[in-house]
Amino acid sequence: MWRRYGDAVYTLVTFAVFGFETLALGALSISFLLGRTTGIADTPVEGILLATLTSTASALALLGFFLLAYHFTSTLRDRWHVEQLDTWTERWIALALEDTPAEQLAEGSTRRLPRAAVDAVLSLLEVVKSEEGDRLKAVLAGHGVDRLLLRHVRSGHLTARLDAIESLGKARLPQAFDALISLLKHPRPVVRRMAVRAAAGTLATMPPEPGPDGPGARFIEALKGTDIQSGVAQESLLLLETRAGAVLRDLLAQPDLGDRLRWVALETTGRLGLADMAGEVAGSTSHADPELRAAAFRALRRLGSVPEEAHGSLLEALRDEVDFVRVQASHAAAFLPSEVALPALEPGLEDESWWVRRATAASMARLGDDGVAAVRRAAETHPDQAAREMAVQILLEAGVLDPAAARLVKGVA
Amino acid sequence: MIETLRPKDARILVVDDERVNVVLLERILEQDGYTNVRSTTRSDQAVALYEEFEPDLVLLDLHMPGLDGFAVMERLEDRIAGDTFLPILILTADIRPEVKRRALAAGAKDFVTKPFDRTEVLLRIQNLLQTRFLHMRLRPELASEGQAT
Repeated sequence: MWRRYGDAVYTLVTFAVFGFETLALGALSISFLLGRTTGIADTPVEGILLATLTSTASALALLGFFLLAYHFTSTLRDRWHVEQLDTWTERWIALALEDTPAEQLAEGSTRRLPRAAVDAVLSLLEVVKSEEGDRLKAVLAGHGVDRLLLRHVRSGHLTARLDAIESLGKARLPQAFDALISLLKHPRPVVRRMAVRAAAGTLATMPPEPGPDGPGARFIEALKGTDIQSGVAQESLLLLETRAGAVLRDLLAQPDLGDRLRWVALETTGRLGLADMAGEVAGSTSHADPELRAAAFRALRRLGSVPEEAHGSLLEALRDEVDFVRVQASHAAAFLPSEVALPALEPGLEDESWWVRRATAASMARLGDDGVAAVRRAAETHPDQAAREMAVQILLEAGVLDPAAARLVKGVA
Repeated sequence: MIETLRPKDARILVVDDERVNVVLLERILEQDGYTNVRSTTRSDQAVALYEEFEPDLVLLDLHMPGLDGFAVMERLEDRIAGDTFLPILILTADIRPEVKRRALAAGAKDFVTKPFDRTEVLLRIQNLLQTRFLHMRLRPELASEGQAT
Protein backbone atom coordinates (compact mmCIF):
# COMPACT_ATOMS: atom_id res chain seq x y z
CA MET A 1 0.00 0.00 0.00
CA TRP A 2 2.81 2.44 0.90
CA ARG A 3 4.75 2.34 -2.30
CA ARG A 4 6.66 4.97 -4.22
CA TYR A 5 5.86 4.10 -7.80
CA GLY A 6 2.76 2.77 -9.57
CA ASP A 7 0.31 4.11 -6.98
CA ALA A 8 -2.51 4.61 -9.47
CA VAL A 9 -2.19 1.17 -11.08
CA TYR A 10 -1.91 -0.50 -7.68
CA THR A 11 -5.05 1.27 -6.46
CA LEU A 12 -7.03 0.32 -9.57
CA VAL A 13 -6.00 -3.33 -9.42
CA THR A 14 -6.72 -3.54 -5.69
CA PHE A 15 -10.05 -1.81 -6.14
CA ALA A 16 -11.00 -4.09 -9.04
CA VAL A 17 -10.16 -7.25 -7.04
CA PHE A 18 -11.91 -6.10 -3.89
CA GLY A 19 -14.83 -4.73 -5.91
CA PHE A 20 -15.29 -7.99 -7.76
CA GLU A 21 -15.10 -10.01 -4.53
CA THR A 22 -17.54 -7.69 -2.79
CA LEU A 23 -20.03 -7.84 -5.66
CA ALA A 24 -19.82 -11.61 -5.91
CA LEU A 25 -20.20 -12.06 -2.15
CA GLY A 26 -22.98 -9.46 -2.07
CA ALA A 27 -24.84 -11.25 -4.86
CA LEU A 28 -24.42 -14.54 -3.03
CA SER A 29 -25.70 -13.03 0.23
CA ILE A 30 -28.76 -11.58 -1.52
CA SER A 31 -29.52 -14.86 -3.21
CA PHE A 32 -29.33 -16.58 0.22
CA LEU A 33 -31.58 -13.93 1.71
CA LEU A 34 -34.06 -14.36 -1.08
CA GLY A 35 -33.86 -18.12 -0.59
CA ARG A 36 -34.51 -17.64 3.16
CA THR A 37 -37.67 -15.65 2.50
CA THR A 38 -38.80 -18.18 -0.01
CA GLY A 39 -37.96 -20.98 2.38
CA ILE A 40 -34.96 -22.29 0.43
CA ALA A 41 -32.30 -21.33 3.04
CA ASP A 42 -33.85 -21.68 6.43
CA THR A 43 -31.60 -24.21 8.22
CA PRO A 44 -29.14 -22.98 10.98
CA VAL A 45 -26.13 -23.93 8.82
CA GLU A 46 -27.40 -21.77 5.99
CA GLY A 47 -27.93 -18.96 8.48
CA ILE A 48 -24.28 -19.12 9.63
CA LEU A 49 -23.13 -19.23 6.04
CA LEU A 50 -25.23 -16.21 5.25
CA ALA A 51 -23.81 -14.27 8.21
CA THR A 52 -20.25 -15.16 7.19
CA LEU A 53 -20.85 -14.04 3.64
CA THR A 54 -22.40 -10.77 4.73
CA SER A 55 -19.61 -9.93 7.19
CA THR A 56 -16.87 -10.82 4.63
CA ALA A 57 -18.53 -8.69 1.98
CA SER A 58 -18.84 -5.78 4.43
CA ALA A 59 -15.18 -6.13 5.51
CA LEU A 60 -13.98 -6.18 1.92
CA ALA A 61 -16.12 -3.18 1.04
CA LEU A 62 -14.72 -1.30 4.03
CA LEU A 63 -11.13 -2.23 3.14
CA GLY A 64 -11.65 -1.22 -0.48
CA PHE A 65 -13.11 2.08 0.58
CA PHE A 66 -10.20 2.67 2.97
CA LEU A 67 -7.66 1.97 0.24
CA LEU A 68 -9.32 4.41 -2.10
CA ALA A 69 -9.66 7.05 0.58
CA TYR A 70 -6.04 6.55 1.65
CA HIS A 71 -4.66 7.00 -1.84
CA PHE A 72 -6.92 9.93 -2.55
CA THR A 73 -6.00 11.81 0.62
CA SER A 74 -2.29 10.99 0.46
CA THR A 75 -2.12 12.17 -3.16
CA LEU A 76 -3.89 15.37 -2.20
CA ARG A 77 -1.61 15.83 0.79
CA ASP A 78 1.55 15.20 -1.29
CA ARG A 79 0.37 17.67 -3.90
CA TRP A 80 -0.38 20.21 -1.25
CA HIS A 81 3.04 19.67 0.36
CA VAL A 82 4.82 20.10 -2.99
CA GLU A 83 2.87 23.30 -3.62
CA GLN A 84 3.74 24.55 -0.16
CA LEU A 85 7.39 23.64 -0.71
CA ASP A 86 7.43 25.55 -3.99
CA THR A 87 5.80 28.58 -2.41
CA TRP A 88 8.20 28.60 0.53
CA THR A 89 11.19 27.94 -1.71
CA GLU A 90 10.36 30.98 -3.82
CA ARG A 91 9.85 33.03 -0.67
CA TRP A 92 13.16 31.93 0.89
CA ILE A 93 15.08 32.43 -2.35
CA ALA A 94 13.72 35.98 -2.63
CA LEU A 95 14.76 36.58 0.94
CA ALA A 96 18.19 34.98 0.53
CA LEU A 97 19.00 37.02 -2.56
CA GLU A 98 17.83 40.37 -1.22
CA ASP A 99 20.12 42.79 0.55
CA THR A 100 18.52 42.64 3.98
CA PRO A 101 21.15 42.06 6.68
CA ALA A 102 20.86 38.70 8.45
CA GLU A 103 20.52 40.31 11.92
CA GLN A 104 17.49 42.27 10.78
CA LEU A 105 15.80 39.12 9.53
CA ALA A 106 16.34 37.38 12.83
CA GLU A 107 14.28 40.07 14.52
CA GLY A 108 11.25 39.36 12.32
CA SER A 109 8.25 37.22 13.09
CA THR A 110 8.81 34.55 15.71
CA ARG A 111 5.76 32.47 14.85
CA ARG A 112 6.43 28.78 14.37
CA LEU A 113 7.15 27.81 10.77
CA PRO A 114 5.14 25.09 9.02
CA ARG A 115 6.93 21.87 8.08
CA ALA A 116 7.14 22.77 4.38
CA ALA A 117 8.80 26.09 5.23
CA VAL A 118 11.47 24.36 7.32
CA ASP A 119 12.04 21.68 4.66
CA ALA A 120 12.40 24.35 1.99
CA VAL A 121 14.89 26.43 3.95
CA LEU A 122 16.94 23.33 4.86
CA SER A 123 17.06 22.26 1.20
CA LEU A 124 18.25 25.71 0.24
CA LEU A 125 20.91 25.70 2.92
CA GLU A 126 22.35 22.62 1.26
CA VAL A 127 22.93 24.71 -1.85
CA VAL A 128 23.88 28.21 -0.70
CA LYS A 129 26.36 29.52 1.80
CA SER A 130 27.99 32.90 2.62
CA GLU A 131 25.66 35.91 2.98
CA GLU A 132 22.71 34.13 1.39
CA GLY A 133 23.13 31.16 3.70
CA ASP A 134 23.52 33.44 6.72
CA ARG A 135 20.22 35.15 5.92
CA LEU A 136 18.43 31.81 5.84
CA LYS A 137 20.11 30.70 9.06
CA ALA A 138 18.95 33.92 10.68
CA VAL A 139 15.39 33.10 9.67
CA LEU A 140 15.69 29.65 11.23
CA ALA A 141 17.02 31.16 14.45
CA GLY A 142 14.37 33.89 14.41
CA HIS A 143 11.60 31.31 14.27
CA GLY A 144 13.17 29.08 16.92
CA VAL A 145 13.83 26.19 14.52
CA ASP A 146 17.40 25.87 15.79
CA ARG A 147 16.20 25.50 19.38
CA LEU A 148 13.59 22.96 18.31
CA LEU A 149 16.17 20.88 16.43
CA LEU A 150 18.58 21.04 19.35
CA ARG A 151 15.79 19.82 21.62
CA HIS A 152 15.12 16.92 19.24
CA VAL A 153 18.83 16.08 19.17
CA ARG A 154 18.50 15.21 22.86
CA SER A 155 15.29 13.26 22.25
CA GLY A 156 15.09 9.71 23.53
CA HIS A 157 13.36 8.70 20.30
CA LEU A 158 16.06 7.56 17.86
CA THR A 159 14.24 8.53 14.66
CA ALA A 160 13.52 12.04 15.92
CA ARG A 161 17.12 12.37 17.01
CA LEU A 162 18.51 11.23 13.65
CA ASP A 163 16.11 13.52 11.78
CA ALA A 164 17.25 16.44 13.91
CA ILE A 165 20.95 15.64 13.32
CA GLU A 166 20.34 15.42 9.59
CA SER A 167 18.53 18.75 9.59
CA LEU A 168 21.31 20.38 11.60
CA GLY A 169 23.81 18.94 9.12
CA LYS A 170 21.96 20.67 6.31
CA ALA A 171 21.52 23.91 8.23
CA ARG A 172 25.15 24.10 9.41
CA LEU A 173 24.24 26.27 12.38
CA PRO A 174 27.27 27.29 14.46
CA GLN A 175 25.11 27.27 17.60
CA ALA A 176 24.57 23.52 17.09
CA PHE A 177 28.27 22.67 16.75
CA ASP A 178 28.93 21.78 20.39
CA ALA A 179 25.75 19.71 20.65
CA LEU A 180 26.81 17.79 17.56
CA ILE A 181 30.35 17.04 18.71
CA SER A 182 29.03 15.95 22.10
CA LEU A 183 27.11 13.24 20.20
CA LEU A 184 30.40 11.70 19.08
CA LYS A 185 30.41 9.92 22.43
CA HIS A 186 26.95 8.46 21.87
CA PRO A 187 26.78 4.67 22.29
CA ARG A 188 24.96 4.16 18.98
CA PRO A 189 27.34 4.10 15.95
CA VAL A 190 24.66 5.56 13.63
CA VAL A 191 24.30 8.64 15.84
CA ARG A 192 28.08 9.12 16.00
CA ARG A 193 28.34 8.70 12.26
CA MET A 194 25.66 11.27 11.43
CA ALA A 195 26.85 13.66 14.12
CA VAL A 196 30.46 13.74 12.89
CA ARG A 197 29.33 14.50 9.32
CA ALA A 198 27.00 17.25 10.51
CA ALA A 199 29.67 18.69 12.81
CA ALA A 200 32.26 18.70 10.02
CA GLY A 201 29.90 20.45 7.61
CA THR A 202 29.09 23.02 10.28
CA LEU A 203 32.76 23.61 11.11
CA ALA A 204 33.44 24.24 7.43
CA THR A 205 31.23 27.33 7.56
CA MET A 206 32.44 28.68 10.91
CA PRO A 207 35.03 31.48 11.01
CA PRO A 208 38.55 30.27 11.89
CA GLU A 209 39.31 30.65 15.56
CA PRO A 210 42.77 29.32 16.38
CA GLY A 211 43.75 28.16 19.84
CA PRO A 212 42.98 25.24 22.12
CA ASP A 213 39.38 26.39 22.65
CA GLY A 214 38.59 27.09 19.02
CA PRO A 215 36.03 24.94 17.16
CA GLY A 216 38.78 23.25 15.12
CA ALA A 217 40.56 22.12 18.29
CA ARG A 218 37.28 20.96 19.84
CA PHE A 219 36.50 18.97 16.70
CA ILE A 220 39.93 17.30 16.85
CA GLU A 221 39.49 16.39 20.52
CA ALA A 222 36.06 14.92 19.76
CA LEU A 223 37.49 12.91 16.84
CA LYS A 224 40.28 11.58 19.04
CA GLY A 225 37.80 10.48 21.67
CA THR A 226 35.26 8.80 19.42
CA ASP A 227 35.00 5.37 17.89
CA ILE A 228 34.06 5.75 14.24
CA GLN A 229 35.06 3.82 11.15
CA SER A 230 38.08 5.10 9.22
CA GLY A 231 35.95 5.79 6.14
CA VAL A 232 33.55 7.94 8.15
CA ALA A 233 36.42 9.88 9.72
CA GLN A 234 37.94 10.41 6.30
CA GLU A 235 34.64 11.63 4.87
CA SER A 236 34.18 14.05 7.75
CA LEU A 237 37.65 15.50 7.11
CA LEU A 238 36.81 15.92 3.43
CA LEU A 239 33.58 17.70 4.43
CA LEU A 240 35.67 20.38 6.14
CA GLU A 241 36.32 21.82 2.66
CA THR A 242 38.69 24.79 2.95
CA ARG A 243 39.16 24.17 6.67
CA ALA A 244 40.52 20.66 6.01
CA GLY A 245 44.15 21.80 5.67
CA ALA A 246 44.24 23.58 9.03
CA VAL A 247 42.50 20.73 10.87
CA LEU A 248 44.71 18.07 9.26
CA ARG A 249 47.83 20.05 10.15
CA ASP A 250 46.75 20.27 13.80
CA LEU A 251 45.68 16.65 13.79
CA LEU A 252 49.03 15.37 12.54
CA ALA A 253 50.79 17.54 15.11
CA GLN A 254 48.99 15.78 18.00
CA PRO A 255 51.55 13.74 19.96
CA ASP A 256 48.89 11.38 21.35
CA LEU A 257 47.10 10.77 18.04
CA GLY A 258 45.94 7.16 17.67
CA ASP A 259 47.29 5.08 14.78
CA ARG A 260 43.93 4.76 13.04
CA LEU A 261 43.25 8.48 13.05
CA ARG A 262 46.82 9.24 11.97
CA TRP A 263 46.33 6.86 9.04
CA VAL A 264 43.07 8.66 8.16
CA ALA A 265 44.79 12.06 8.37
CA LEU A 266 47.65 10.91 6.10
CA GLU A 267 45.27 9.41 3.55
CA THR A 268 43.07 12.51 3.50
CA THR A 269 46.06 14.84 3.16
CA GLY A 270 47.21 12.86 0.15
CA ARG A 271 43.76 12.65 -1.41
CA LEU A 272 43.24 16.38 -1.05
CA GLY A 273 46.68 17.04 -2.55
CA LEU A 274 47.62 19.50 0.20
CA ALA A 275 51.14 19.98 -1.17
CA ASP A 276 52.20 22.42 1.55
CA MET A 277 51.72 19.69 4.14
CA ALA A 278 54.53 17.42 2.92
CA GLY A 279 56.54 18.42 6.02
CA GLU A 280 53.79 17.24 8.39
CA VAL A 281 53.44 13.98 6.47
CA ALA A 282 57.22 13.40 6.55
CA GLY A 283 57.03 12.94 10.32
CA SER A 284 55.17 9.64 9.87
CA THR A 285 57.55 8.09 7.33
CA SER A 286 59.57 6.40 10.08
CA HIS A 287 56.59 5.36 12.23
CA ALA A 288 56.80 1.96 13.92
CA ASP A 289 53.56 0.79 12.28
CA PRO A 290 54.17 -0.33 8.66
CA GLU A 291 50.59 0.68 7.66
CA LEU A 292 51.41 4.23 8.72
CA ARG A 293 54.80 4.26 7.00
CA ALA A 294 53.10 3.10 3.79
CA ALA A 295 50.32 5.68 4.18
CA ALA A 296 52.90 8.45 4.66
CA PHE A 297 54.81 7.48 1.50
CA ARG A 298 51.55 7.14 -0.45
CA ALA A 299 50.59 10.62 0.70
CA LEU A 300 53.99 12.05 -0.31
CA ARG A 301 53.62 10.44 -3.72
CA ARG A 302 50.19 12.05 -4.12
CA LEU A 303 51.55 15.40 -2.93
CA GLY A 304 54.35 15.09 -5.49
CA SER A 305 57.23 15.98 -3.18
CA VAL A 306 59.48 14.43 -0.57
CA PRO A 307 60.86 16.97 1.91
CA GLU A 308 64.54 16.67 2.78
CA GLU A 309 63.84 15.48 6.33
CA ALA A 310 62.13 12.39 4.86
CA HIS A 311 64.95 11.46 2.44
CA GLY A 312 66.70 9.23 4.98
CA SER A 313 63.58 7.33 6.02
CA LEU A 314 62.55 6.90 2.38
CA LEU A 315 65.91 5.41 1.40
CA GLU A 316 65.65 3.10 4.39
CA ALA A 317 62.05 2.16 3.50
CA LEU A 318 63.20 0.98 0.06
CA ARG A 319 64.74 -1.94 2.01
CA ASP A 320 61.83 -2.24 4.48
CA GLU A 321 60.97 -5.77 5.55
CA VAL A 322 57.28 -5.21 4.66
CA ASP A 323 56.64 -5.35 0.92
CA PHE A 324 53.76 -2.82 0.77
CA VAL A 325 56.00 -0.25 2.48
CA ARG A 326 58.68 -0.89 -0.14
CA VAL A 327 56.04 -0.43 -2.88
CA GLN A 328 54.90 2.96 -1.58
CA ALA A 329 58.45 4.08 -0.84
CA SER A 330 59.50 3.13 -4.38
CA HIS A 331 56.65 5.20 -5.83
CA ALA A 332 57.56 8.18 -3.64
CA ALA A 333 61.23 7.88 -4.65
CA ALA A 334 60.28 9.32 -8.05
CA PHE A 335 60.24 12.68 -6.28
CA LEU A 336 63.83 12.46 -5.00
CA PRO A 337 66.70 14.00 -6.97
CA SER A 338 67.64 11.46 -9.66
CA GLU A 339 71.26 11.17 -8.50
CA VAL A 340 69.96 10.02 -5.07
CA ALA A 341 66.98 8.01 -6.27
CA LEU A 342 68.49 5.94 -9.08
CA PRO A 343 71.21 4.10 -7.16
CA ALA A 344 68.77 3.55 -4.28
CA LEU A 345 66.01 2.24 -6.53
CA GLU A 346 68.01 -0.09 -8.76
CA PRO A 347 68.23 -3.00 -6.27
CA GLY A 348 64.43 -2.97 -6.16
CA LEU A 349 64.34 -4.31 -9.73
CA GLU A 350 65.38 -7.67 -8.29
CA ASP A 351 62.88 -7.56 -5.42
CA GLU A 352 60.97 -10.77 -4.74
CA SER A 353 57.68 -8.85 -4.94
CA TRP A 354 56.24 -8.20 -8.40
CA TRP A 355 54.65 -5.00 -7.05
CA VAL A 356 57.95 -3.65 -5.76
CA ARG A 357 59.70 -4.41 -9.06
CA ARG A 358 56.93 -2.63 -10.93
CA ALA A 359 56.93 0.43 -8.62
CA THR A 360 60.73 0.59 -8.86
CA ALA A 361 60.87 0.49 -12.64
CA ALA A 362 57.98 2.96 -12.97
CA SER A 363 59.64 5.43 -10.60
CA MET A 364 62.98 5.12 -12.38
CA ALA A 365 61.28 5.85 -15.71
CA ARG A 366 59.84 9.04 -14.20
CA LEU A 367 63.28 10.33 -13.24
CA GLY A 368 64.01 12.06 -16.55
CA ASP A 369 66.45 10.96 -19.25
CA ASP A 370 68.86 9.36 -16.74
CA GLY A 371 66.05 7.29 -15.31
CA VAL A 372 64.78 6.11 -18.69
CA ALA A 373 68.35 5.24 -19.71
CA ALA A 374 68.78 3.22 -16.51
CA VAL A 375 65.55 1.28 -17.14
CA ARG A 376 66.62 0.66 -20.72
CA ARG A 377 69.97 -0.59 -19.52
CA ALA A 378 68.19 -2.89 -17.08
CA ALA A 379 65.94 -4.17 -19.88
CA GLU A 380 68.95 -5.09 -22.00
CA THR A 381 71.60 -6.21 -19.57
CA HIS A 382 70.20 -6.90 -16.11
CA PRO A 383 71.25 -10.38 -14.98
CA ASP A 384 67.86 -11.05 -13.37
CA GLN A 385 65.19 -12.14 -15.86
CA ALA A 386 62.31 -10.77 -13.76
CA ALA A 387 64.04 -7.38 -13.60
CA ARG A 388 64.59 -7.34 -17.36
CA GLU A 389 60.98 -8.24 -18.09
CA MET A 390 59.62 -5.58 -15.75
CA ALA A 391 61.91 -2.95 -17.27
CA VAL A 392 60.69 -3.83 -20.78
CA GLN A 393 57.07 -3.74 -19.61
CA ILE A 394 57.48 -0.24 -18.11
CA LEU A 395 59.28 1.06 -21.20
CA LEU A 396 56.44 -0.29 -23.32
CA GLU A 397 53.81 1.38 -21.14
CA ALA A 398 55.73 4.65 -21.15
CA GLY A 399 55.83 4.57 -24.95
CA VAL A 400 59.63 4.50 -24.98
CA LEU A 401 59.61 1.15 -26.75
CA ASP A 402 57.15 -0.15 -29.31
CA PRO A 403 56.19 -3.85 -29.21
CA ALA A 404 58.64 -4.76 -32.00
CA ALA A 405 61.52 -3.00 -30.26
CA ALA A 406 60.51 -4.63 -26.98
CA ARG A 407 60.78 -8.07 -28.58
CA LEU A 408 64.18 -7.10 -29.93
CA VAL A 409 65.37 -5.91 -26.50
CA LYS A 410 64.13 -9.14 -24.93
CA GLY A 411 66.02 -11.07 -27.60
CA VAL A 412 69.24 -9.13 -26.96
CA ALA A 413 68.87 -9.76 -23.24
CA MET B 1 25.49 32.81 -32.98
CA ILE B 2 27.93 35.70 -33.37
CA GLU B 3 25.29 38.36 -32.66
CA THR B 4 24.70 36.91 -29.17
CA LEU B 5 28.14 37.71 -27.94
CA ARG B 6 26.94 39.77 -24.95
CA PRO B 7 27.41 37.51 -21.89
CA LYS B 8 24.02 38.51 -20.43
CA ASP B 9 22.30 37.34 -23.63
CA ALA B 10 23.97 33.97 -23.38
CA ARG B 11 21.80 30.88 -23.46
CA ILE B 12 22.23 28.93 -20.26
CA LEU B 13 20.89 25.45 -19.64
CA VAL B 14 20.46 24.21 -16.05
CA VAL B 15 20.20 20.45 -15.43
CA ASP B 16 19.60 19.38 -11.83
CA ASP B 17 17.16 16.82 -10.43
CA GLU B 18 16.45 18.97 -7.37
CA ARG B 19 13.80 21.55 -8.12
CA VAL B 20 15.03 23.80 -5.32
CA ASN B 21 18.47 24.00 -6.93
CA VAL B 22 17.02 24.76 -10.35
CA VAL B 23 14.78 27.54 -9.04
CA LEU B 24 17.63 29.02 -7.02
CA LEU B 25 19.99 29.07 -10.00
CA GLU B 26 17.29 30.57 -12.23
CA ARG B 27 16.71 33.38 -9.73
CA ILE B 28 20.42 34.03 -9.25
CA LEU B 29 20.92 34.23 -12.99
CA GLU B 30 17.82 36.38 -13.54
CA GLN B 31 18.89 38.75 -10.81
CA ASP B 32 22.29 39.11 -12.42
CA GLY B 33 20.71 40.05 -15.74
CA TYR B 34 20.75 36.77 -17.64
CA THR B 35 17.60 36.60 -19.69
CA ASN B 36 17.99 33.37 -21.61
CA VAL B 37 17.84 30.53 -19.10
CA ARG B 38 16.21 27.14 -19.61
CA SER B 39 16.18 24.35 -17.10
CA THR B 40 15.11 20.78 -16.47
CA THR B 41 14.93 18.48 -13.48
CA ARG B 42 14.97 15.46 -15.79
CA SER B 43 18.42 14.48 -16.94
CA ASP B 44 17.00 12.31 -19.73
CA GLN B 45 15.69 15.49 -21.35
CA ALA B 46 19.04 17.29 -21.17
CA VAL B 47 20.30 16.20 -24.58
CA ALA B 48 17.02 17.04 -26.36
CA LEU B 49 16.98 20.44 -24.66
CA TYR B 50 20.59 20.99 -25.66
CA GLU B 51 19.79 20.29 -29.30
CA GLU B 52 16.75 22.54 -29.26
CA PHE B 53 18.17 25.39 -27.20
CA GLU B 54 21.85 25.30 -28.30
CA PRO B 55 23.13 26.72 -25.02
CA ASP B 56 26.34 28.68 -24.56
CA LEU B 57 26.80 27.15 -21.13
CA VAL B 58 25.48 24.10 -19.29
CA LEU B 59 25.15 24.05 -15.51
CA LEU B 60 25.06 20.38 -14.62
CA ASP B 61 24.50 18.38 -11.45
CA LEU B 62 26.50 15.16 -11.19
CA HIS B 63 24.39 12.82 -9.11
CA MET B 64 20.94 12.42 -10.62
CA PRO B 65 18.62 9.43 -10.86
CA GLY B 66 18.65 7.67 -14.22
CA LEU B 67 21.22 9.47 -16.32
CA ASP B 68 23.85 10.98 -14.08
CA GLY B 69 25.99 13.99 -14.95
CA PHE B 70 28.76 11.83 -16.39
CA ALA B 71 26.33 10.08 -18.76
CA VAL B 72 24.86 13.44 -19.80
CA MET B 73 28.35 14.75 -20.60
CA GLU B 74 29.11 11.62 -22.57
CA ARG B 75 25.96 12.08 -24.68
CA LEU B 76 26.61 15.77 -25.15
CA GLU B 77 30.16 15.07 -26.27
CA ASP B 78 28.81 13.11 -29.25
CA ARG B 79 26.78 16.13 -30.30
CA ILE B 80 29.34 18.87 -29.84
CA ALA B 81 31.37 19.65 -32.92
CA GLY B 82 35.11 19.19 -32.50
CA ASP B 83 35.96 22.88 -32.91
CA THR B 84 33.21 24.06 -30.51
CA PHE B 85 33.98 25.15 -26.99
CA LEU B 86 30.90 24.34 -24.91
CA PRO B 87 31.60 25.07 -21.25
CA ILE B 88 30.01 22.70 -18.74
CA LEU B 89 30.02 23.89 -15.15
CA ILE B 90 29.49 21.10 -12.63
CA LEU B 91 27.53 21.91 -9.48
CA THR B 92 27.67 19.08 -6.98
CA ALA B 93 27.72 18.31 -3.30
CA ASP B 94 30.22 15.50 -3.87
CA ILE B 95 33.47 16.62 -2.29
CA ARG B 96 35.63 13.65 -3.26
CA PRO B 97 38.71 14.81 -5.22
CA GLU B 98 38.55 11.77 -7.52
CA VAL B 99 34.99 12.71 -8.55
CA LYS B 100 36.19 16.18 -9.43
CA ARG B 101 39.03 14.75 -11.51
CA ARG B 102 36.65 12.33 -13.24
CA ALA B 103 34.21 15.13 -14.06
CA LEU B 104 36.95 17.34 -15.46
CA ALA B 105 38.26 14.43 -17.52
CA ALA B 106 34.74 13.74 -18.83
CA GLY B 107 34.49 17.21 -20.35
CA ALA B 108 33.52 19.54 -17.53
CA LYS B 109 35.31 22.86 -17.70
CA ASP B 110 34.85 23.96 -14.11
CA PHE B 111 33.58 22.67 -10.83
CA VAL B 112 31.62 24.30 -8.00
CA THR B 113 30.85 22.48 -4.76
CA LYS B 114 27.48 22.84 -3.05
CA PRO B 115 26.77 24.71 -0.91
CA PHE B 116 28.10 27.43 -3.16
CA ASP B 117 28.70 31.11 -2.92
CA ARG B 118 26.52 33.16 -5.27
CA THR B 119 29.35 35.51 -6.25
CA GLU B 120 31.66 32.61 -6.98
CA VAL B 121 29.11 30.87 -9.19
CA LEU B 122 28.37 34.05 -11.11
CA LEU B 123 32.08 34.76 -11.62
CA ARG B 124 32.72 31.29 -12.90
CA ILE B 125 29.74 31.51 -15.24
CA GLN B 126 30.95 34.87 -16.52
CA ASN B 127 34.49 33.59 -17.07
CA LEU B 128 33.31 30.49 -18.90
CA LEU B 129 31.01 32.54 -21.12
CA GLN B 130 33.79 34.99 -21.92
CA THR B 131 36.03 32.10 -22.91
CA ARG B 132 33.22 30.65 -25.02
CA PHE B 133 32.67 33.96 -26.83
CA LEU B 134 36.37 34.55 -27.39
CA HIS B 135 36.57 31.09 -28.85
CA MET B 136 33.60 31.80 -31.11
CA ARG B 137 35.22 35.03 -32.31
CA LEU B 138 38.40 33.16 -33.14
CA ARG B 139 36.66 30.36 -34.99
CA PRO B 140 36.46 32.07 -38.42
CA GLU B 141 40.14 33.01 -38.15
CA LEU B 142 41.09 29.49 -37.14
CA ALA B 143 38.99 28.08 -39.98
CA SER B 144 40.63 30.35 -42.58
CA GLU B 145 44.07 29.50 -41.19
CA GLY B 146 43.18 25.85 -41.52
CA GLN B 147 42.10 26.35 -45.14
CA ALA B 148 45.28 28.31 -45.96
CA THR B 149 47.49 25.56 -44.64
